[in-house]
Amino acid sequence: MLAQLISISSIERPYVALGLEGSANKFGAGIIRHDPDGSTHVLSNVRHTYITPPGEGFQPRDTALHHREWALTVINEALKKAVVSMHDIDCICFTKGPGMGAPLVSVALVARTLSLLYRKPLVGVNHCVGHIEMGRQITGTQNPVVLYVSGGNTQVIAYSQQCYRIFGETLDIAVGNCLDRFARVINLSNDPSPGYNIEQEAKKGKRLLPLPYATKGMDVSLSGILTSIEAYTADKRFRPDGPSAEDGEDIITPQDLCFSLQETVFAMLVEITERAMAHIGSRDALIVGGVGCNERLQEMMGIMSRERGGNVFATDERFCIDNGIMIAQAGLLSFRMGFETPLAKSTCTQR
Amino acid sequence: MSETKSASLRLLEASEKISQGAEAKIYRTQLHDPVSLSESTTDGDRVLLLKHRFHKQYRHPSLDASLTKSRIAGEARALIKCLRSGVNVPGIRMVDATEGILGIEWIDGKSVRFLLGGGAEDDEEVIEDGDVPEGEDDEAEDEDLLKEYGVSEDALMNMIGTEIAKMHQADTIHGDLTTSNMMLRHPSSPKGLQLVLIDFGLAYMSTLVEDKAVDLYVLERAFSSTHPASEPLFAGVLKAYEKGVGKNWTAISRRLEDVRLRGRKRSMVG
Repeated sequence: MLAQLISISSIERPYVALGLEGSANKFGAGIIRHDPDGSTHVLSNVRHTYITPPGEGFQPRDTALHHREWALTVINEALKKAVVSMHDIDCICFTKGPGMGAPLVSVALVARTLSLLYRKPLVGVNHCVGHIEMGRQITGTQNPVVLYVSGGNTQVIAYSQQCYRIFGETLDIAVGNCLDRFARVINLSNDPSPGYNIEQEAKKGKRLLPLPYATKGMDVSLSGILTSIEAYTADKRFRPDGPSAEDGEDIITPQDLCFSLQETVFAMLVEITERAMAHIGSRDALIVGGVGCNERLQEMMGIMSRERGGNVFATDERFCIDNGIMIAQAGLLSFRMGFETPLAKSTCTQR
Repeated sequence: MSETKSASLRLLEASEKISQGAEAKIYRTQLHDPVSLSESTTDGDRVLLLKHRFHKQYRHPSLDASLTKSRIAGEARALIKCLRSGVNVPGIRMVDATEGILGIEWIDGKSVRFLLGGGAEDDEEVIEDGDVPEGEDDEAEDEDLLKEYGVSEDALMNMIGTEIAKMHQADTIHGDLTTSNMMLRHPSSPKGLQLVLIDFGLAYMSTLVEDKAVDLYVLERAFSSTHPASEPLFAGVLKAYEKGVGKNWTAISRRLEDVRLRGRKRSMVG
């Protein structure tokens, strides 16, 4: 697809792209510039997240509504921060999929309208490729094995034969989904994100409770873990509000559950990444996607990669969590390779 | 960690490492002490292959310990089940689940992948055969390789099918059937020419037709990705397999057709 290994043609002037992302509960707009000397500049990266009350997830309909309400504000702010006008933009990139249908469609509509208003070409971008290209751009890794972990995706990807190929993936739910849903069970806040709050709680946990460990070759299965950890909240030893004075050693706190969940699930993810690395012969691992900003996951992946004589590469929340700039980056790369999405084909796909 | 090392760890230290995968290190070792061995023991019985599932630093220590233990035990259990059912697999010589060490019979021979001219092993997750082929080998040499073992390609495929059928009849699913995970025992060894299935690291028990069909499908894919013109070869494997599983073949073959259409994973629509 985005064949960077085949060298991309050099350009005689700077190129600027606007990227619009809205496949889940974040609406993001980002502006990127590629200079003739080969350097890449992030001019702006603005995001607004639809946050639901604790115990609730985001529904497609309400999320789409959020994106429609915030689209113009966020895009205007991105343009202002980047100090460019819509006329300076070379192409408008939008997320074609995969993601939630309703939010995707509303963002594509914004992209189409802008494209017609300002007569700018459209570039449809695959969300996963966006994550990978941004991670590669920021960290500068050459040919890593990519672990893409977010609310909707859990995949081990590597570049092979001119294509990003999936070597392993989840057999049921995504890891972010697993964490988010558990956060709902123990009523953690969705602000800034359920995963972040689980990470903070896990730091206070001490006790590792036995959970199923389900890796199958290069794939993982996570739904059973969610069921098992939910079962602990019905256990007699579970103390939702922390230990009381008369409690002994043998109690379970929400912090212990967060700790056990992270340790088990991340060990599984690192294991399948390692298998893929051994299979392909790559030494470096790149973590992208919303769960990728979890520092414990980065730490575990780091230990594994160093044992193999390589390194782990990860980005912070600005680029890990869904954002517009990654869509702009991947879109601009394909635009420079001569790729455009004609209006009639500017559809979305949930898969 | 205690001060004194366990006997199996000391044995490991005296062994020669021959390969390393993502999960385990493989060693070749020789048992020296002739006192404990009877006179009739041949040299071959004293050579062991040790598979060490080493400690993973990134995992929580207690999670790591319990995983290593259950995986070594699981692998040993699958091997024993196969041995009892008369499937040709390496015999078990020692199990140290705590240290994560499995000692199995050394097989004097070559992997089927090598014999079929599948080229050098790429980084397979675990290479359990001692004779990792070195360098490239050209087509002409392959013929000689098989000739040395005195079997034709067709006969070899027949042996593979028969062995897998025996294993599946014992409700054992290998989980990672490839031509690298099969070895041909050299005719000059005491047990004579045999096809031996190795690496039961991903094996499990199942009576389901689905699991058996997927097991075959994985092998079919491995054939087509490593061996050119594999279709007649794999057809030979299936023919022998059909004979081996008898009346179960109808259900398995029908399911294999389904699996071929949808891939190894079940569809997750909805």
